[in-house]
Amino acid sequence: MSAFWSGWIMFLVVLNFGITLFLFVWGQFVAIPTQPDGTSGHVWAHGVLREGVRRLPLWWVLMSASVFVIGMVYLVLYPGFGSYKGLIGWSAHDQLARESAANQAKLTPVLQSFEGRSVEQLAAMPEATRMGHRLFVDNCAACHGLDGRGNHAVGAPDLTDQDWLWGGSSEAILTSILDGRRGTMPPFQATFSNEDIERLANYVQSLSGPPHSPSRAAEGKAQFTVCSTCHGVEGKGNPALGAPNLTHARRLYGGDLATIEQTIRYGRSGTMPAWRTRLGEGDVRLIAAWIYAKSHGGDAERH
Amino acid sequence: MAGGYKYFEAIEKNAGLLGILTAIMVSIGGLAEITPLFMRAHEVKAAPGVKPYDPLRLAGKDIYVREGCYLCHTQMIRALRAETERYGPFSTAEESVYDRPHQWGSKRTGPDLARVGGKYSDEWQRVHLKDPRAVVPESNMPGYPWLMQALVDPDEITQKLRVLRLLGDPYTDEDIANAAAAVVGRTEMEALIAYLQGLGIANEPAAATASTAQAKP
Repeated sequence: MSAFWSGWIMFLVVLNFGITLFLFVWGQFVAIPTQPDGTSGHVWAHGVLREGVRRLPLWWVLMSASVFVIGMVYLVLYPGFGSYKGLIGWSAHDQLARESAANQAKLTPVLQSFEGRSVEQLAAMPEATRMGHRLFVDNCAACHGLDGRGNHAVGAPDLTDQDWLWGGSSEAILTSILDGRRGTMPPFQATFSNEDIERLANYVQSLSGPPHSPSRAAEGKAQFTVCSTCHGVEGKGNPALGAPNLTHARRLYGGDLATIEQTIRYGRSGTMPAWRTRLGEGDVRLIAAWIYAKSHGGDAERH
Repeated sequence: MAGGYKYFEAIEKNAGLLGILTAIMVSIGGLAEITPLFMRAHEVKAAPGVKPYDPLRLAGKDIYVREGCYLCHTQMIRALRAETERYGPFSTAEESVYDRPHQWGSKRTGPDLARVGGKYSDEWQRVHLKDPRAVVPESNMPGYPWLMQALVDPDEITQKLRVLRLLGDPYTDEDIANAAAAVVGRTEMEALIAYLQGLGIANEPAAATASTAQAKP
């Protein structure tokens, strides 16, 4: 802060203190002329209301005086009076650094106890999965839901079942979170007629069992060779491409025929953002541990 | 000293004088707190990596303002641990030099958005802006489905870039010539998502990043 603006602030602070303090003190001694009936002579409502003259209550005077004292003490101790830093040298950034350091001191031993452990081992440590769950709720739940069961609206997979798009090993889960994933299903409206798409959708339904027409499904089987490039001949998917396993009843975008037809017609593009820079590997391992424990039958509770 | 009643009486019985003197006293706080920052605002330079908005993001920023997003969302992470833990490094003035007006806000019904860019996928943003409860069941944010149909006006964006250059933003002739083409046929939804996805990523100053590196493991 330049000397001019520092002086400007100091001048205004002194001016403001001076005027208000002068009025406050002076006001205590000013005698208000009174009428014989003890009022000021100000009347409202044709004399129904008259203004009385009373001394200010002591509590009010003391409270107001304390406001001046508190204000001055504050300006002596804390920054505020121009470029003067205050006696105790407080700053918001210092306080943040101090509080972060204090938190870090508590956190470091806990994080150290997690070091060198695999995601599988962490999944068995309640303290690790508890922290992982907190991080999951804050960062992942927007798409995957508070309980990790996914969301059809954004094609976010259920993380609690045994069905994995990109593999369910601890390494695959870590990679998914750290570097993100991008799953693309191309649109097939140019390849297939509307009738073909309907047949295919019925065939896809027949792989996992929900309501469908068996005759239409049988007709769609021939066209499925196009789909088998990614989804496999038996429709079991391909974790290398993130192609979903179609023999599982749980569908990414919803399990009714209309949704599946829409998926075939227009394709899908799903994105899992990368979290490496935002969260760091330490936090991501804790989240992976919670997911691992949740999806692998509650290892955390067993141990 | 005791005879000062006539001065008090003169002020109290003259509404004009009372108004003027009140205004003077009230303005002292503003003169001390606002004037120095206002007069020195030009000294705040863009932090490294902070660039003027590209046309699509600029259109998105104006939609953000038009729809009143700032009424419920701040873009101002304060230097408090609870905020840096949740939202990332605290915001600095150098990050907002190209925001006219800045979107710091003062009310958080929803979360701070200063560094929301990249946290969610584009698809999530689209679904969420159309119907927030489709992805966040407990959300009380209104939906903005009309953004999916409305198109960004290419002529307007060229004008905006010209005006911003007049105000000192470093757009080149080439930037302005290509602005309209960059937004032709783009929906307001795309523009708003482009704006949101850019918040805090490209614009994160190195200094603030370093301070979080200390704050976070």
